[in-house]
Formats: sequence, C-alpha cells, structure tokens
Amino acid sequence: MQCFMCGAEVGDSNVCYNCGADILLYKQIVYTSYVFYNQGLEKAKVRDLSGAIEALKSSLQYYKYNTRARNLLGLCYYQTGEMVRALNEWVISKNLQEDNPDADRYLAEIESTPGLLPKVNSTIKKYNQAIEYCKSGSRDLAIIQLKKVISQNANFVKAHQLLALLYLEEGKFADARKLLNQAAKIDSNNTTTIKYIHEVKARLKDQNTGKRRKKNDTVSFVDGNDTVVMSEKSFRSMLDNSRSSLMNIILGLVIGMLICFFLVVPTVKDNAKDGNSNTILALNEALAESNSANESLQSDIEKLKTELSAYDDKQDVATSYDNLFAAQNYYNSGDSATASQYIQLVTKEVLGEQGQQAYDTLYTALSPAIIQGFFDDGNNFYSEENYESAITNFKTVVDIDENYGNGAALFLLGDCYRLTDQTDLALECFEKVVELYPSNKWGKQAKVYIAADDTKLDAKEVGE
Amino acid sequence: MIDFEEELKKYEPAIEVEQAEADIKARDLTDLTDLLFNMTAQNNNGTK
Repeated sequence: MQCFMCGAEVGDSNVCYNCGADILLYKQIVYTSYVFYNQGLEKAKVRDLSGAIEALKSSLQYYKYNTRARNLLGLCYYQTGEMVRALNEWVISKNLQEDNPDADRYLAEIESTPGLLPKVNSTIKKYNQAIEYCKSGSRDLAIIQLKKVISQNANFVKAHQLLALLYLEEGKFADARKLLNQAAKIDSNNTTTIKYIHEVKARLKDQNTGKRRKKNDTVSFVDGNDTVVMSEKSFRSMLDNSRSSLMNIILGLVIGMLICFFLVVPTVKDNAKDGNSNTILALNEALAESNSANESLQSDIEKLKTELSAYDDKQDVATSYDNLFAAQNYYNSGDSATASQYIQLVTKEVLGEQGQQAYDTLYTALSPAIIQGFFDDGNNFYSEENYESAITNFKTVVDIDENYGNGAALFLLGDCYRLTDQTDLALECFEKVVELYPSNKWGKQAKVYIAADDTKLDAKEVGE
Repeated sequence: MIDFEEELKKYEPAIEVEQAEADIKARDLTDLTDLLFNMTAQNNNGTK
C-alpha cells in the first residue's frame, strides 16, 4: 500500500515513515467505502435499486476511486431508466481509472446500439416537458406525454411515479395502482413508489366504504323476472303512495266487476246462444248432406247389385267358350240337337269379337234345330197340359220365326193362351194365323175359334 | 394524504444528453480521502 500523502510504500504499517501521515485513518475510510459498496451490491441483487444507489453514493463519498461502486451505480441508474446519469458515472469511472474493463464494456455497448442515444434523449425531453405541463396545470397533456415516455422507456421509474401521481389526482386509482405495481417490479423498495401505493390503497378503501354506505341506502325487491333496486327514500315514498293507490285499485276492481256483470256477461251469453244456433244449423246442413250422400250411395249399391245379379245369370267367359266349342264339335259330328243345346248355354256378350262371329255363324246354322227343339218341347208341355211352360217355348219359336210350321207355332201359342183364359192374347194370335194362313188347317181352326168363340178344342186333336 | 402540488415539486427535470458533459464537469468529486489529505497537509504545514 502507498501513502496517500507522499506516495511512499508503507506496507502494513499504520503510519507513513516518510511523511508521518495517518495511514490507519485512510485505511478505515477506504474500508468503509467498500462496506457501503457491499451493501449496495446486496440491495441491487434483490432489485432494491434506490437503496443500492444510496449505498453506492455513500461509498463514493468515502472513496471516489472505488470504481466498482461507481460502475454499479451507473448500472443501477441504467436499470431505473436514467440513462444519462448512468453514462456520466461510467465516463467518470473511466477517467478515474483508465484500466476499467467494466466501464469500457458498458460504454461500448451503448455506442454500438444505433439510435439509442437520440431515442433516450427524446424520452428525457418528453419527460421534462411533462413536468412542465404538470406545473402549468395541463395534466391531460402531461398524461399523454408520460404515456409516450413509458412506452419508449419502460424502466423509467420516475415517469411511472409521476403518471401514477397524476392518476391519483384524477381519481383513477386502478390505473395508478397498475403503474405503481410496474414501478415496484423495477425498483422494489423505492420509498416514493411505496408511499403512492399506500395512498392508492387508502383512497380505494375510502371509495369502497362510500359505495357500501350508498349500497346500504338502497332497497331491492323482485318484481316478476326483474330485480328492482331503488333508494330507501324512494321506496318509503312509494309505500306511502301505495296506500292511496291500494284504495284506488280496490275501487277500480269493484267498478270493473260491475261492468263485467252488466255488460260483458250478457254479451257473452248472447254470443254463446248465437254460437249454439249456428252450430245446430251447421249440424242440420251436415245431416242433410249426409242423408243425400247416403241415398246416393244406396242407389249406387242397388245399381251395383243389379249389375252383379245380371252377371250372376251369365256364365263366365271360360264356360261360354267351352259350351261354344262343344256346340261346334257336336255340330261338326252331325249331332245338331246336342249342338243346339250347348249353344243355348253360351252367353254371347262375354265372348270376344272372334267368339261372337263364331257364335253367330254356328247359331245361324243351328237355328232350325234350335227352333225345332223349342217347338218340340212346347208340344210336349202342351200334351202334358203344362200350358205355362208351353207358352214360354212357343213364344220363343214365334219370336224367332212366326211363320214356323205354317202358323202351327203361332196357333198353338194362341191356343195355350185360350186354355189359360188369356182370351185377348189368344184372339190376337188366332187373327194373325188367319191373316198369314187363311186356308190351311191352322187358319181354318183359328177362324172357327174367332167366329164361334169355341174354346173347347181338344189339345190332342190339334198338337202333332 | 399526499399534497399533489408539494409532491410535484420533488420532480426535477432529468439530465439530457447534451447536458451530460456539463454535469460531469460540475460534479464535485471530493471525497473523505481528499479531506483527510487536506487536513494532513495543513497539519504538516502548521508543524513546519
């Protein structure tokens, strides 16, 4: 160690043997400086930057050549956003100790960042402008400037504090608290920050207490789906008013009931009667329509039954064709009598076009045999005195050919009528026989019956 | 309760970059060792 007075080497001695200076005191001063430096370092490590700055300043007041303390002080200023102060400390540190790698590094880092210093300078100018605005009463402008400052230099603790102070004054406690929390994150033990936080808490507490008082003055009640909140005074006045309102409501209800009884009820009854009458008319109309529909359906049923019965009398298609083929076969084999029986079993209407043509052809061919068959049957019934059946057969013959047997069929039909006391029909047949065959035996006998009205002709004498 | 106006007075303008040199020059860097040097020097002069 060298003597601070003469520069002579003193070793561990407490007094300089060259000049007699008190080395012990000097050593104590330097030692105290390093104690403060250590304190500052400990505080900086826990982000108590303002505490660190105070300790480091003390350290440098004891011993200005403590370059470690000065470099750390610059670093603390840098962290709190005070760039120019930091630069100053590092420049001084470099001047006091030329071999100073830490200061060299910090300065080189700032110089190597392009545009950093102009930006820092602009931020500082805005901050200073904001202070001027505050002092001149233009708080709104100051707030705008400080917001810009914080956006450019987020670590600037003093800008945070000033903006928080303005917010406090404006009553924006939540915003102030947010800013102060940010400032506390940068510098955890800053007395100004802590003081402002307490102030914000106190004002928020007052505000909440006031709100609670106001809240207690209110009355809330549920009205349907809505919750009505109103002041207690308003609620009481409403209750007072509600007494007179209650009387009015009761009076209104009585009047309403009277109106209902005398006006509404009779109208409702009339409407009900009208409604019933309309209903009865509508039901009558519906009944009449139903009856007519029923009649229509009944007539349809009858019609369909008639058609069905007509079909019942007819043979089906297959049977008709079978009978037609049988008739054709018997005709081809020369048995015209059997063929005529089969062809009479055919229903012509159910046959197709070809079938009907075949039926007509065969029927024409078999006509004589058919007529002969009817005539023979008629004669048989006549002989058996079964005149009703005889009439049916003779009438069939006459309908086909009234000249059959030279008037025999016509005469015998008339005679059957005569024997069954159908005189008019009988005379009609006799007159036709006389007209057609006046000279044969049927004509002569018919004349006899007509002239003498002799109806006692023996059937056996006539029929052959 | 904080007095806004009083509190505002505590805020001083920050040093701008242009003022840095002047600030350094204006800085009083005297420390306790300087005082001890002066006192010892005065004592030595008085003794002589």
